[in-house]
Amino acid sequence: MSEVLKQPVVASPDAPIAEGSLRSYFPAALAVGGAVALTLLRIQAGGENFISDGALMMLALAAYLIAAVFYLTNLYAPSTLFQKIGLWAATAGVFFNLASWCVRWVAGYDREYVIHMAQGTPMPWAFRYIPFANLYDLSLAFAFGAGITTLLIAHRPTFRFLGALSLPLAALILILARFIGGELINLPPVLDSYWRPIHVGIAAISYGVALVCFAVAVVYLLKDGVKTEAMAIWSSLFCLAVIGTISRGSVFTSGIYSASTFVGNSRSSLPLRADIPYVGLLLVISGLLLAGVIVAFLVYLSRKDERARRWGHWLLKFSLIGQAAAVVTLVSQVKSITDVLSHIDTRQYERFSVWMLKEEMTQARMPATMIQERVAQFSPQELYQMADQYVQQNGAALRLSLNANPVELAALITCFAATLFCIIFSFRTERLRESLPSLEKIDSLMYKTAGVAFAGLALLLMTGAVWANESWGRYWGWDSKETGAFVAWLTYAGFLHTRISRGWTGRPSAYFAIIAFLLVIFTYLGVSYLLPGLHSYA
Amino acid sequence: MSAIEETKREISVPRPPSANISPTNIERLWIIGTGLTVAAVIALLKAYTELPVPESLNSRALIIWLIITGIVAALGIQRLLDVLSSVRFGVILLVLLASASMVGMLVMQVNVDGFDRYYAELSPAQKIVGRALGFFDIYHAWYFNALLLVLSLNIVLASIDHFPKAWTFISRKKLDASAHWLKGQDQHASLTLSGESRAAVVERIAAAFKSVGLRKPIVTEKGDKLFVFGERGAWNRLAAYAVHVALLTIFLGGFLTGMYGHTGNLRLRPGESGSIISETVFKIDPQTRQFEPTTDEFELPFTVECTDIQQQLIKKEGPITADNTMNWRTWVRFKKEGSPDREALVELNHPIDYGGFRFFQASFEAEGKARHITLRITPEQGGTPQNVTIKRDGSATLADGTRVEFKDFSGNFRLGGAPPPQESDYSNPGATLAVTPPGGATVQAFAFNERMAESAPIAKRPVAGYTFRLVDFEKSPSAHILSVQRDPGATLVYIGFTLLGLTLIYAFFFSHQRVWALVEPRGGAFGVVLGGNTNRNKLAFGDRFKRLVGAIDGQTTEVKQS
Repeated sequence: MSEVLKQPVVASPDAPIAEGSLRSYFPAALAVGGAVALTLLRIQAGGENFISDGALMMLALAAYLIAAVFYLTNLYAPSTLFQKIGLWAATAGVFFNLASWCVRWVAGYDREYVIHMAQGTPMPWAFRYIPFANLYDLSLAFAFGAGITTLLIAHRPTFRFLGALSLPLAALILILARFIGGELINLPPVLDSYWRPIHVGIAAISYGVALVCFAVAVVYLLKDGVKTEAMAIWSSLFCLAVIGTISRGSVFTSGIYSASTFVGNSRSSLPLRADIPYVGLLLVISGLLLAGVIVAFLVYLSRKDERARRWGHWLLKFSLIGQAAAVVTLVSQVKSITDVLSHIDTRQYERFSVWMLKEEMTQARMPATMIQERVAQFSPQELYQMADQYVQQNGAALRLSLNANPVELAALITCFAATLFCIIFSFRTERLRESLPSLEKIDSLMYKTAGVAFAGLALLLMTGAVWANESWGRYWGWDSKETGAFVAWLTYAGFLHTRISRGWTGRPSAYFAIIAFLLVIFTYLGVSYLLPGLHSYA
Repeated sequence: MSAIEETKREISVPRPPSANISPTNIERLWIIGTGLTVAAVIALLKAYTELPVPESLNSRALIIWLIITGIVAALGIQRLLDVLSSVRFGVILLVLLASASMVGMLVMQVNVDGFDRYYAELSPAQKIVGRALGFFDIYHAWYFNALLLVLSLNIVLASIDHFPKAWTFISRKKLDASAHWLKGQDQHASLTLSGESRAAVVERIAAAFKSVGLRKPIVTEKGDKLFVFGERGAWNRLAAYAVHVALLTIFLGGFLTGMYGHTGNLRLRPGESGSIISETVFKIDPQTRQFEPTTDEFELPFTVECTDIQQQLIKKEGPITADNTMNWRTWVRFKKEGSPDREALVELNHPIDYGGFRFFQASFEAEGKARHITLRITPEQGGTPQNVTIKRDGSATLADGTRVEFKDFSGNFRLGGAPPPQESDYSNPGATLAVTPPGGATVQAFAFNERMAESAPIAKRPVAGYTFRLVDFEKSPSAHILSVQRDPGATLVYIGFTLLGLTLIYAFFFSHQRVWALVEPRGGAFGVVLGGNTNRNKLAFGDRFKRLVGAIDGQTTEVKQS
């Protein structure tokens, strides 16, 4: 072991495979070829005794995480074996990921077949049930985009380590997909166009490249000597923002975390939230620890105070434990609580009644001003009684599910991952920096991935515009998702132009790349969950 | 020096010293005077004469004009042009545009469904600030358009500024380089080749250049030094300009569409004609400060007659909702004086072009109707019942000459009163018929399905000697709504899109790579200094350079490589 540790560079099996030769693309080709072969097998064998797309996705998730662990270990304790395991696990992950998507397509065919056989209508074309219909499908493809980009870049052994960062991110996206839930849906008819596979396919790939570009930017900052303490401050701020906004902001105000509920078999969650015991408390503790981390590291960065630094790192570790405990408790409670009714706080009744009234009146196409007047006519007692009555009637059918708040859950897990990476990077940071490739090479790769992401987003915007014009008769409507992608694209444009006008390579570029990726994520998730618009389905 | 620094140097155009470019105070007075005069003349013309002054030259336009005059006076034209053509200013514009777009994402816009609800819930202060800054319709605010205009101008001017320098990569190639300069390049190597003639060495280097894809190497001789220069993808230096040309083409197309285009909806019921398209525009009325929908109308230069509509459902027993729909189909006949009629079928995602206008499927009115019905008609006197299928507004003639017309249909039939509108369910389907016996008067009849007929006595009573039962029907909405668009900029926009796609791929997946080899005698052998750079994709260029060195370096005695 000590033998290996003395060697400060990442072991790279350079010699047998020449960089840039066709053989170095073998893992990527194998993953894609294997997925196609498995799909053909699935078509031959039928769906009954075959592995489902959901199971394949879980395998992809596991493979991505295994690959990340081995790549990370390889950064600290360079070993050709670990690097090889990392590469093959990543290959397996991409294979399972793509296979899951392809098998889902076949499953979509089976579903349509049953419907159309029963109706005696002819089978529609294959692109009607291509899995690009909702956020689950997009997430599956997005993770694949990130995975295949990582594999393609891994043809240069010097950049294989990148999977240590990009694959956990891809895994987070798959986790989100898992929480969203993968039921096949009826396609809204206007989406039945050949532009859909083109447009969404480009979206998945360019989002994936943007993700890798983000990973490269983080690695650049690390190599450039940005203190892990500074990174921890930013990541802690992000985590505090997440903890502060989930559950309608109740964690910091009342110390309670509550989860949305489903009624019966309905697929859309109700804003009637059930309190989950202990989770709020654990999150408050984690949040306070993170606030402590921020203070300690700020003191360290401004006064070079070593003691503050040590304190900060301890607080960060405790917060990680707190966050892990919160997530585990949340998942186990959601799975185990059966009498949801007893967890419903009656203080939310008035708000819930107002929501019900507005839903009802909006569905009846009542004008907004009238809705407001009508709602204002109800007294608080009446509103309370209305909700109470609803809960009396439907209380038994209320149920908790991990699928009720996919974004909140995924955000908590992302916080955990961000904190974890801050801790990992703080461990023997100098050794880590030495084992990374030169700044110039990382910068080159960052420029290249940003360029591809920029071109990809441009194609995304264009195909979207052409599709919109073919379906609705307008190119551009400033719909939230369009605008989101446009803003991300402008940010990448800024990235490219500052390199010319100010010679802003390196660190400023890396900041641009990070902001641009955050905007991509906002476009991908925020728009669907926070803002209204045409793309709300995906 | 890195390639990026070189690029930076290459595209920064030298400026004359800035002392001379600021205007003098006299010049400033002249500029302001001219600006004020022009504004005053336009204002007077508008106020006191009947001359045709364009509507758009309103007080806001005059204020903008005066602001521009002020900026020109303060900076002078030369410095203004410098600012307008700088990439740095372009980046600032990009950031401003991105920020304004973000505001538009976070503040709900007037044209979005549900804006009325959103607006009603804002506080008075939010409403005042939002209205004053134009945040509720930011993408049509004057400053947003101004931003786009200035950005376009910036792209044009910056391109004009930088293009000549980029063109020199093609027109005046750098064929030689000093050893010192070569050793400062990203990729460089020195080697010594012995035991060969000078010609053989050059031949070998040129062959190696060709073998790694640096086609047509150029050999130049200067004194006892020989230079071999090879490159690939020189035109890639112009890719960025082509990208900007593509963007401007799209902008121009979008501008033409915005200025001269028309959009609107056309509601078509089977059997009806229409020629007026209407569009609902949502605005906040400046007087009442309330959110008001207004309708803009436009008359087409032809009429559209709807001959049939069909909604292909996924499940026949399901409702006629969008969820349960595979496709909408509308058959239309375009009629224009002086030209023959044209029939066409408009389907979802398959628009139809006619007379410069394009027709799309947009939505439908989900009132439960039927496209055709199948009746079981039983003679009163007994006899075999027969099944007859009749199309909407069509008729059938029975064997004895009785005519049965299909007049109307309701999915939720109610006797003695009109069915409630927007009733999309088919819980009580019923057809209204007009029956005309041979030589007799026309009588109204109704046909219901078996279940309804049992409970409704009117259904059992024979009409004109027959009883009618509704056996089957094809569900259909009452009307389809087509979206109509006239788009004079479409061709330009599509050309721009194609160009943008191709040029972006060319810009980011290809690069201009250059390599120089300096050969000079060193002792009894020849020293070779190799150096090269690329404008993009340094990693791949590094690979190529290594292969090049390997190809030259057959029997080298000494290799130094970065």
